[in-house]
Amino acid sequence: MGIPLVPKLLRAHLAELAENDSRHDGRGRFEGRDLELEIDCLVRAEGSARVRMGDTIVYAGVKFQIMTPYPDRPNEGGLMCSAEIRPVAGRGWEPGPPSPESIELGRVVDRGIRESGCINVEELCLIPGEKAWQVILDLFAISDDGNLFDAFALAGIAALKSAVLPAERYEIGEDRPLGVAKTPVMCSYHKVGGRFVYDADKREELGGDERIHITLGDDDHVHSLQKGLKGIFTAAEFDEIMVEARSKCAELRSLLDQKLAGE
Amino acid sequence: MGGYGDVRCIDENGIRLDGRTVGEIRPISIEVGVVPVADGSARMRWGLNDVIAAVYGPMEAHPRKIQRQDRAVLDVRYNMAPFSTTDRIRPGFNRRSREISKVTAEALESVVLTELYPRSKIRVEIEIICAEAGTRCAGITAASVALAHAGIPMSDMVVSVASGKVHDIVVCDLNKEEDNYGEADLPMGILPNSGELVFLQMDGDLSPEQFQEAWDYNMGAVSVIHEHMVAALKGGEA
Repeated sequence: MGIPLVPKLLRAHLAELAENDSRHDGRGRFEGRDLELEIDCLVRAEGSARVRMGDTIVYAGVKFQIMTPYPDRPNEGGLMCSAEIRPVAGRGWEPGPPSPESIELGRVVDRGIRESGCINVEELCLIPGEKAWQVILDLFAISDDGNLFDAFALAGIAALKSAVLPAERYEIGEDRPLGVAKTPVMCSYHKVGGRFVYDADKREELGGDERIHITLGDDDHVHSLQKGLKGIFTAAEFDEIMVEARSKCAELRSLLDQKLAGE
Repeated sequence: MGGYGDVRCIDENGIRLDGRTVGEIRPISIEVGVVPVADGSARMRWGLNDVIAAVYGPMEAHPRKIQRQDRAVLDVRYNMAPFSTTDRIRPGFNRRSREISKVTAEALESVVLTELYPRSKIRVEIEIICAEAGTRCAGITAASVALAHAGIPMSDMVVSVASGKVHDIVVCDLNKEEDNYGEADLPMGILPNSGELVFLQMDGDLSPEQFQEAWDYNMGAVSVIHEHMVAALKGGEA
């Protein structure tokens, strides 16, 4: 993405709103935008999900390939997670090789999922040292109105949870669910007008400062953290958003469980 | 185009694998405004195809060397999402997507009144989210709806549809099996108000009679597809 112009007026406006403890769209500090989650929406993917948060819309799709296990881990399959933000998603996104922003997005989501241990990579091994399943999670943005991180993370884990190993197509047994034991969920907070808010939209991202991404697993275990962009934050500020993240992640996790249960 | 193996695409009663007769097109649904941050957008579902088109602009054309003094340039990209097909597609451009982007741009440039916007650029993004067969046709059709939704002046929209041949029988609007195993594919881009053409490709093998039959199937499908496009733009169902 090209370096965006940040109008001073926008920053001043957001700072003024912050003083009155309000946001430009009327949300509370830790209130998210309207959220839609659709699971199993792509016929050609082995697992898929679509997430809409306000005007941010993303898809996640799971595909499988056969790989040779890495020499130092002969009994394990692999997980690959990549994020692609193509120019369809917004005026600022340009064609070409992956930008540093989209690489960061993919890697932060990847770490949260990988480190939670939700996928048992040993179960993906078919013949030790020779043949194993590789799980490929592709994150794809359709419309970027801010906070792609949380949208990608939620779509990603939802797609994995709905994924079915296409064993019959590869003639190695019967199709079976991938089996994702845990539910890592990400919550992101942006410093806007001098205080952190949850689920920033594009304008708040543009006129804001640093951001912090927190991925929590079941039982509130921390699985990934990332501070992005220029800015300074205090331990007290971090404590505050961590407490918020715990309740928000639990809320998102129960929403996902409901959807998967077909409710 | 290739051998059938054990696959029979049409049964003895002329019924195809998805239950259609030879002259029937797949179910279509179109909605607009699916990319809220874009200036115009459309989603077209056509059989199992799921295509999203977004339009940005007219905007400043940069770098300057792409600018045209007398008209706008259309910057069209056709792309298949990695999870849109049975085997994952590695992200990035390939020769196929570049060619489709080029012919799509040329089809749309034939109808967009580009001379109204000198030195500017109109970006058209076509993303195939789920592919069945005929994604280029769905892409061109969805892109014309997205251009109209963005309020870009056009002399007409483009309706694109492909017919072809399987088991030596000409059929309208090929599905995946027919596209994979069939003997010919004739995609066309047609202006619904005049019957003129802005896009034409063909590969395979058709006798003069079969070619005419495929051509007529495409021409015959235009009005039905056009009704869906207009209804989506007017905010109703076809």
